[in-house]
Amino acid sequence: MIEKMAKVEIIGLKDVSMDTVDAIQDLGTLHIEDLSEKIERMRSKRVTRMEVDKKSAEYDAKLKELRVKVGDMIRELQPDVGEFSKKDIQREYEAIWRDDVALLISRIERLLSEVERETIDPLERRADLAMELARLQKYAPMMQKIQPLVERVAGSAEMASIALIIERKYKAILNYLNEEIGKITDGESEVAAADVDDESTAALVIFNRRYLKQVHEFLALQDVNQVRLPSDLAKKPIDDAMDEVRARMAKIPAGIGKIDRELREATEKYSMKLIAARNVIHDRIEAMEALPKFGQTEQVFIISGWLPEEDVKSMERVLKEKFGDTVLLAVVDIREEKELEETPVTLRNKPFVRYFEAIYMLMKYPKYGTVDPTFVFAIFFPMFFGLMVGDIGYGIIIMILGWLAHRKFSDKPLINMIGYMLSVGGAWTIVFGVIYLEFFGDLLEKAFHAWHIHLPLLGTETSTFKLPIIRIDAFEFMLVACCLIGFLHISIGLIIGIVNGVREKDKKHIIEKAGTLGSLVGIVMAISKMIFGWMPMWVVIIGVLLFIGGMVGAGIGGGMGGVVESIVGAGNILSYSRLIAIGLASVIMAEVANDLAGEMWGGVFGILMGLLIATILHSLNIVIACFSPSIHSLRLHLVESFGKFFEPAKYKYEPFKKTGGEG
Amino acid sequence: MEEAVRIGLIAFSAAIAICVPALATAWAQSRIGAAMAGAVAERPELAGSAIIMVAIPETMVILGLVIAFMITTLKGT
Repeated sequence: MIEKMAKVEIIGLKDVSMDTVDAIQDLGTLHIEDLSEKIERMRSKRVTRMEVDKKSAEYDAKLKELRVKVGDMIRELQPDVGEFSKKDIQREYEAIWRDDVALLISRIERLLSEVERETIDPLERRADLAMELARLQKYAPMMQKIQPLVERVAGSAEMASIALIIERKYKAILNYLNEEIGKITDGESEVAAADVDDESTAALVIFNRRYLKQVHEFLALQDVNQVRLPSDLAKKPIDDAMDEVRARMAKIPAGIGKIDRELREATEKYSMKLIAARNVIHDRIEAMEALPKFGQTEQVFIISGWLPEEDVKSMERVLKEKFGDTVLLAVVDIREEKELEETPVTLRNKPFVRYFEAIYMLMKYPKYGTVDPTFVFAIFFPMFFGLMVGDIGYGIIIMILGWLAHRKFSDKPLINMIGYMLSVGGAWTIVFGVIYLEFFGDLLEKAFHAWHIHLPLLGTETSTFKLPIIRIDAFEFMLVACCLIGFLHISIGLIIGIVNGVREKDKKHIIEKAGTLGSLVGIVMAISKMIFGWMPMWVVIIGVLLFIGGMVGAGIGGGMGGVVESIVGAGNILSYSRLIAIGLASVIMAEVANDLAGEMWGGVFGILMGLLIATILHSLNIVIACFSPSIHSLRLHLVESFGKFFEPAKYKYEPFKKTGGEG
Repeated sequence: MEEAVRIGLIAFSAAIAICVPALATAWAQSRIGAAMAGAVAERPELAGSAIIMVAIPETMVILGLVIAFMITTLKGT
């Protein structure tokens, strides 16, 4: 159900405005309304938007700067956040928090300078080493390729050489360079090349030292990269430079490891404090950024917002205790349609239903004042799932897997909720498995094929129907049953639509939904004769009249859209045939698994192969069973049923509170 | 011989009943899937809706399967 909300206005003297904001943030129950738009629309200019004073703006800027610095420091120290308990971080948070912003800023600055003193030097050394390693790793393969080329000219003092790196796809340019440098040096040059990797080619231009300047000038005009060694290596012979590079590359990781050990101590000492400081800064900035949402006159500030009705008294008490008569809280009556629309929504459901609120990850909350349909979803979603999968063995596995996921991931809301929904779906799967007598496909049916209970059923052709319902044989029966379930499901949606209309006092809405429901009932009555031949003709006549009357009603209430909707309703019922269609696909696949395994049966090898095939195919079927029926069950709710009545909320209830940081 | 032709035609009709909607569903899903992949890349919070959107055209092939199954039951008539 939707939590009952109260709209409040808090008015107080401006001297205590920031303290009031702190008190409200501490309570963490008020969803603040942004008054700026309302103030702009006001004719009287006595009330203005609350502005942040110069001092507060300076604090805000300082806090934002500190947030960046603290964030950078946390990234540098790379703490394992999973190791810290929320309780410990909260303790540090409370130790850092100060209501006085100036004091708070100075505490965080002190903490930062203390951390920097201990970490800045090792961090810089580590960054230098990492950069050098990256640079040497870039040179090493090039030098390895160039080295044999250089050795060819090493003996001659007259010859000079320049190493180049060229993208492999432009390798053809080497011919052009060879030709042009040949012209510059009167043929006293040579270009040798070797591929470094898939993308680059190393080349060495060897030429008479006399032409050094001209060749350099020529190469500077071409779009080629000259390999420039670090200055300390550039003057060394390539052999020595190579050895030096290798020796340095071997040494650097050990150096980085040593620095990391030094830093680990600092990480352990300061990480939690830094995370708490980041959280404090986040909450403080949130509080300051809330100010422009408030209103003010010369003397007083005005805060408007919503909170759950039951929290009004505690807020009133806290404000009275802290500020006496300088701050007043008034509850505003929310009756107007516009106010209802603006009211933020939060849900309060019983534990069983609460897990099914996962559906609101796909859609918005229902509008304030309407019916929360989570209970419909909680009943029908797992039931549809079970109806489609319907297998005792599969149900047991899905229920266990769902429950394990639910328990293991209690800190991950999405997986926790899905796990719960799957385990309830698994329970329904077992129930329908018993009705279909399916246990890993047709294993039980094969064992008890002669066992059937005959039950009377509304005078159908044989006046009885058999239990268990073998889905493949009883396809037509199941098709009708699924469509009737669909009729029930859609009708519940339309009844909720009527209730919403009554709550919102919207007569047209009520007439439209009642008309659509009437036409739906009429269609079902009219075609029931085709299924139950014994039905008297007057049922069909009443059905047709009801259908026409319903359509007219839907037209009066909802215009052309209402008429179309009342006709489409019949199509929506047919959509529920997917409940048997997907179920059939599942049962046929299970039977195929059993048949293939059965064909292999015989001898130790045959039994092992049969078991292997059956395990693989049934596992695959269970995985498919977890996804496909869930999606189709979801779709039947979101499109066919909820589409008949659901009105989304404009805002979700997001109380202004100390969040404990950015997570 | 006549019976064989009759069963063959029934089987062929059932095959068409499932085949055409399956192709139509595949085409629709390819278009919706590509569009939703683009939408999810821009707004990851749409991932849930994307799954539902992609599942919407499956109604065609599911109804096709139902019709095909009903056609196969004509064998005995």
